[in-house]
Amino acid sequence: MDKKIIYIKDTSFALDRTKDVHAILLNGLRDRGMQDSVQAVRVADIGAYNQGVVVKVLPDTTYYGVKDEDLGRILDAVKQGTVVKELAARKEPGQLRIVLRNCGVIDPESIEEYMANEGYQAIKKVLFGLKTQDNTIDEMKKSGLRGRGGAGYPTWMKWNFAKKMASDQKYVICNGDEGDPGAYMDRSVLEGDPHSVVEGMMIAGFSVGASVGYFYIRAEYPLAVERIQKAIDQCYANGLLGKNILGSDFNFDLEIRLGAGAFVCGEETALIASIEGKRGAPHPRPPYPSVKGLWDKPTVINNVETLANVAYIINRGGDAFAKVGTQTSKGTKVFALTGKVKNSGLVEVPMGTTIREIVFDIGGGVYKNKNIKAVQTGGPSGGVIPKDFLDTPVDYENLQKLGSIMGSGGMIVMDEDDCMVDIARFYQRFCFDESCGKCSPCRIGTAQMLGFLSKIAEGRGEIGDLDNLRRIAQSMQRAALCGLGQTAPNPVISTLRYYEDEYRVHILDKKCPSKKCRDLLSYKIIPEKCKKCGLCFMNCEAKAITGNKDDGYIIDMNKCVRCGRCFEVCKFKAVGKE
Amino acid sequence: MQEDKLSDDIKNIVKKWEGKKGSLIMILHDVQNIYGYVPRETSLQLSKYMDVPLARIYEVITFYHFFKLVPPGKHLVQVCMGTACYLKGASELLHELRDILGVREGGTSKDGLFQLEVVRCLGCCGLAPVMKIDEKVYSKVGKDRVADIIAEYEEEQVAK
Amino acid sequence: MSKITKESLENIAKQPKKEENNWIKVGMSSCGIAAGADEVFKVLTEEVKKRNIPVAVKKCGCVGMCSVEPLVEVNVDGMPQVTYGRVNGEVAIQIIEEHIHNHRLVNDHIYDIQVKK
Repeated sequence: MDKKIIYIKDTSFALDRTKDVHAILLNGLRDRGMQDSVQAVRVADIGAYNQGVVVKVLPDTTYYGVKDEDLGRILDAVKQGTVVKELAARKEPGQLRIVLRNCGVIDPESIEEYMANEGYQAIKKVLFGLKTQDNTIDEMKKSGLRGRGGAGYPTWMKWNFAKKMASDQKYVICNGDEGDPGAYMDRSVLEGDPHSVVEGMMIAGFSVGASVGYFYIRAEYPLAVERIQKAIDQCYANGLLGKNILGSDFNFDLEIRLGAGAFVCGEETALIASIEGKRGAPHPRPPYPSVKGLWDKPTVINNVETLANVAYIINRGGDAFAKVGTQTSKGTKVFALTGKVKNSGLVEVPMGTTIREIVFDIGGGVYKNKNIKAVQTGGPSGGVIPKDFLDTPVDYENLQKLGSIMGSGGMIVMDEDDCMVDIARFYQRFCFDESCGKCSPCRIGTAQMLGFLSKIAEGRGEIGDLDNLRRIAQSMQRAALCGLGQTAPNPVISTLRYYEDEYRVHILDKKCPSKKCRDLLSYKIIPEKCKKCGLCFMNCEAKAITGNKDDGYIIDMNKCVRCGRCFEVCKFKAVGKE
Repeated sequence: MQEDKLSDDIKNIVKKWEGKKGSLIMILHDVQNIYGYVPRETSLQLSKYMDVPLARIYEVITFYHFFKLVPPGKHLVQVCMGTACYLKGASELLHELRDILGVREGGTSKDGLFQLEVVRCLGCCGLAPVMKIDEKVYSKVGKDRVADIIAEYEEEQVAK
Repeated sequence: MSKITKESLENIAKQPKKEENNWIKVGMSSCGIAAGADEVFKVLTEEVKKRNIPVAVKKCGCVGMCSVEPLVEVNVDGMPQVTYGRVNGEVAIQIIEEHIHNHRLVNDHIYDIQVKK
């Protein structure tokens, strides 16, 4: 390095003084004659949040909560090559990248770059080192890897069931029908590291004795489709797919099939119907796909993230993988951290990391410094986790205990402005739209529940509706045909479990405490604050505001369409909303 | 649309998937890529060439949200209604688009220029709320930006 | 390209991993492209060519920091490996002029700094 580097960021939530501190640092450097040997740089993100001014000195010293008067001491220490011990801080919380190990590191369109990063070493090890299906499955068993698509079924057991079936033809399928609105880790892996998923498919194929594999990918992900196709083509051109792979007697072919916008196709029996070119309607299990799947042949279906773990496990060994995570849930999980969080994005953490660490230490806390209300996981099949449970370590069992599920890994942060009735209604509308209509508990149940929720959100709710919602939810859980129908009531059940008060206020007081449900809002002009500027009057398209610049203005709630325009345009906060 | 041309395209597509099991959905994707929707004549022809009952083809088309039976507007406006976008104001965005374009979701504006659609998650949750016009994605769209964005496309049309 | 064999994979595994320097990577997944990575990639390739700088401009997948896309990662000799976020054409040129040419980091756009071992 030709220059020493100091970098700084004010991580206070309230006022960002990064520029001021930077100026002080520059002066300090000049005073000490260090301006040419040290560069002080302002960064946009320093990996710590709400810690005041953070100063880092390369290579590895970090100071948190630095006061202006401390800066001189830090610079002196830099000059002498020492550390100000009483200010230097602990290590930061880290992510651990297994699934995303190559994402953002290699060129996804280059098989050479993948191979330079342990690529296709795992399939070689399987074919020539582990040699047998049993050894490979045994390695997966040691790893403790569980399906990352939702239910968390042990991957090795799935493979083993299909392996044990005697059949002239078996299939493996990669489920890339990422339907949870709010999760996109599968897209990211398919786009950023397609070869690792291809290699995972090859190993799955070998282990169960399948010679054909299908990628089932959403049509909404054109770039993912393009990159997987490129990866497959490169493999064929290099003899990694087709007959006698790497000179062994293992034959394997891969093909892509596109989804066409149906959430239910993420359910494995519906997905199989869709690959067969039919409507994506599920059928009852058993028989499970590992017994009777695609074209009635034994079939293994794994999710993208699951498959992206496989090559890593084989390369490093199942035992090494099992060292990461909790007792029951091994390895890492990728979350799509979104919603009202400062740094939304993909986060990969060891299982057992707490929700608080994910949202606050990695995600940087809540957007616009509001208060967190809850976190939603598992999408339309999951539930909300209230802020009281933020210290729960994330694994399959813990989330289930709280009434949610791991799901595919959407983690949506909600703040005090988010209304739980509205959230439940949002997910219920989704499930209603996406219900395939084959079984009546789901077809009718989702419609009925949506009806009750709308009624409550629109101010027509009755107290008996809550019992009705609970009864329908229970019947759906018991009687619906597939996973989508059985889990569709979860968002309603979990919001009712933790936020029944909020439902009651909607029903009894006809008010929305979070001021979200449009029909329950009322606007009024607060005369003490109003400057009679007339801006609200001019902006009211519904002509619900009357008055003039002398007498002031009033809002007629009978005419008001609750668009909120007056509330937004008022510069004096003189329009009240409740 | 010329009958002969149509048949050639269809023949090529069917040939491409010949011998592959369960290819109907992939064939419909290819058809929609050419025409922007699945014309009824095409379905009739597919039924003939593939020896599949028309009802089988229609049951698939109508089951999946992705396939369209009527020609879409010139520009496809998609509003993402994933959870992240919803929380960050996608429904206000949709209301604004409905007002400006004068259509509801699934509809085509009177001038035939815009087709308004709601989609489930474009996978850009970090950029919420997101809307997409044709291939271009607009990220972190406040409802005050919508009119300007739409106007760009209208001006481009006038300029032609 | 010739076919990959068991032996060629063994050879790759035996070779010590080369740490390549002097590259710029642009995150080009859907989210990056949506935020304008295409434009940034174009500017960087053109500028590198125009100024005849010995730096490779590459595409890569998504590192996960979606809210600050487009992301550009820079690794040149004598400098730590730096990830810049919210990059536009203007910042891309600053990266070339300041970071790569003058060996000075660009203010206000850094999201990650990694020290090379």
